[in-house]
Amino acid sequence: MKRRPLQSDFEREALPHLGALYAAALRMTRNEKDAEDLVQDALLRAYRFFDTFQAGTNCKAWLFRILTNVFCNRYREREREQVVLSEAESSPANLEQFLGGTGADARDTETALLGQMVSADVEKALAAVPSDFRMAVILADLEDFSYKEIAEIMDCPAGTVMSRLFRGRKILQGLLRDYAVEQGIITPETPPGTAGDAPVDLAAYRRRRDRGEAS
Amino acid sequence: MICAEVDTCVQTYVDGELAGVDREVVERHLVGCPACAGRVRLEARFKAAVRAHLPRPEVPLAFRLRIEKSLATQPIAPLRWPWLSYPRLVPAAAALVLLVGITGTVRESQSGLLQQAQRSYRAEMPMDITGSDCGSIASWFRGRLDFSMHAPALGGGATCQGGRLVNVGERPAAYLIYRMQTGHRVAFLVFDPRDQSFEAPERRVVNGREIYVEAGPGISTATYRDRGLGYVVTSDIDEDALTRLVTTSFGR
Repeated sequence: MKRRPLQSDFEREALPHLGALYAAALRMTRNEKDAEDLVQDALLRAYRFFDTFQAGTNCKAWLFRILTNVFCNRYREREREQVVLSEAESSPANLEQFLGGTGADARDTETALLGQMVSADVEKALAAVPSDFRMAVILADLEDFSYKEIAEIMDCPAGTVMSRLFRGRKILQGLLRDYAVEQGIITPETPPGTAGDAPVDLAAYRRRRDRGEAS
Repeated sequence: MICAEVDTCVQTYVDGELAGVDREVVERHLVGCPACAGRVRLEARFKAAVRAHLPRPEVPLAFRLRIEKSLATQPIAPLRWPWLSYPRLVPAAAALVLLVGITGTVRESQSGLLQQAQRSYRAEMPMDITGSDCGSIASWFRGRLDFSMHAPALGGGATCQGGRLVNVGERPAAYLIYRMQTGHRVAFLVFDPRDQSFEAPERRVVNGREIYVEAGPGISTATYRDRGLGYVVTSDIDEDALTRLVTTSFGR
């Protein structure tokens, strides 16, 4: 028979993730009060249902799934985001301008555009990314979840995770570029390209490979 | 592999999520293509730069203390046994405790009906019939069930997705899937309620109707009777939203 969980189990397994939950909640709700309410609701829910958590599995992913669920139920419908993306999305050309050249090594990042922006600019740009895409970026790039874990957290297929992540990063790059133009860090000369706007899909290549046409 | 194809999977590659043959093919291409190799470096640097610019904020101390205090004032994972909500079931519960004592077996905390509905919801089994026309889906069940059924009409722009013939106890039942505008999935298990006990941790009365609600960490369940049929509704929305949703279906 499964042992009933103790408060100390929860403190050991779940509470170390409070910082990650709070950071994600803050970036999802975009204000401290809502972030605290969201994390508190999610943690209390996890506490009430801690008997359903399987010891030895990924507690952080389990908590994020609850957090995401509470967020979707409570906050997402409030958002009336106008998704004006095509203008804002980035291309490889302006990502290059943005980061300071493809041939540069990591040290060049310091002098490149992103290096000239402050964290507040990047926070502001991330906050403007629509919630589904923003969540995918937060989970993958800030919390290091795998696509499979994100699929479970966001309750969607892995292919959807890939496209949300792809789109979210493109939007973020485009927004950062817009800020850089506003601040005069770069000139708005580089026209948006199209090469980077394709959806994440290996199907075309695999079809060609299966027909023996691909190398 | 051509550059345009590599371009579609640069991020997947940078994320370390490209495996097997696909990864080998991309790496072979990158060796001979400075342009694509540059794209990979850019994406990796962008990812690293964003992360460097977005450090994890401190959890406010007052908030941390509030969380710890609120956890300390309530029990962890309280038992969700039906009779806690239904004092009239206490004699039955006492009898069950005696039975458990005799047989040494342990009953699950939920009714089999709720477990079945939640299992089906999580499994996302293939449908016997798919389509967005609720009327056609309901018609498909005609002759396959021993009761007459209409697909519940939901508000909020929910649309039908499909149906599957299942069993509840020994009798055939209908399992219907809806998709809400918000993307949430709602499953209706429609069955002949004879011989079925409606057990759930929380009883709510809305517009004079009884709805038995169970809130889980990822999904919620509402059980009720309507026009002689039994319903278990499962969804990934919270219990309050689910209660509102099923209330819209009454009498429609």
